[in-house]
Amino acid sequence: MNLWLAASYAVGLCLVPCADLCLRGPVERRLVGLELAGILVTILLVLLTLGFHRLPFIDLALTLAIMLLGASLVFVRFLEKHL
Amino acid sequence: MISRDIFAASLALVALSCWIGALGAWRMHKPVQALHYLALPTGAGAIFLVVAVVLETGWGATAAKMIAISAILIVTNAVGAHAAARAFRVRKLDHWQPREEDGVEFIPQRPKA
Repeated sequence: MNLWLAASYAVGLCLVPCADLCLRGPVERRLVGLELAGILVTILLVLLTLGFHRLPFIDLALTLAIMLLGASLVFVRFLEKHL
Repeated sequence: MISRDIFAASLALVALSCWIGALGAWRMHKPVQALHYLALPTGAGAIFLVVAVVLETGWGATAAKMIAISAILIVTNAVGAHAAARAFRVRKLDHWQPREEDGVEFIPQRPKA
């Protein structure tokens, strides 16, 4: 196991508190958990890309980073007006 | 040898910043407090990840994409956190203008109906 995969395991375990944030408590707290999970998964995709030596797959992380803002703004808008 | 140590330290700092961000957001009671902890993985984590990627792959397409990812995360996190905090306030008060008890220096006068 190389250092990239070791770091990806460590970052992947951070998704456990995120899951707790998303699944319990008030809706505002769940939104914070969702935004944090998106950021952590982006970092995780980069680490896995380099850990498995599949460099073209870094485009997945780039795409996710671009789409994160739109996704979170949609949820924020619904939270503000409709939920 | 030194670059290998810096590479390992950068990856360790990425993991550490992600853990501090996740645990901090998890432990905070107020959602606005939890929002502040998003800055750790997006700021420190992404920057240290850029250092690790550049040390591993050199200056190439992968490093350029990693720099783009880091810049996007830093900018969009600021926008997203501000929008989320504004939504929390609007949801609570039905407006986001400052109130007298908020202690801000300037409170705009609302037009009289």
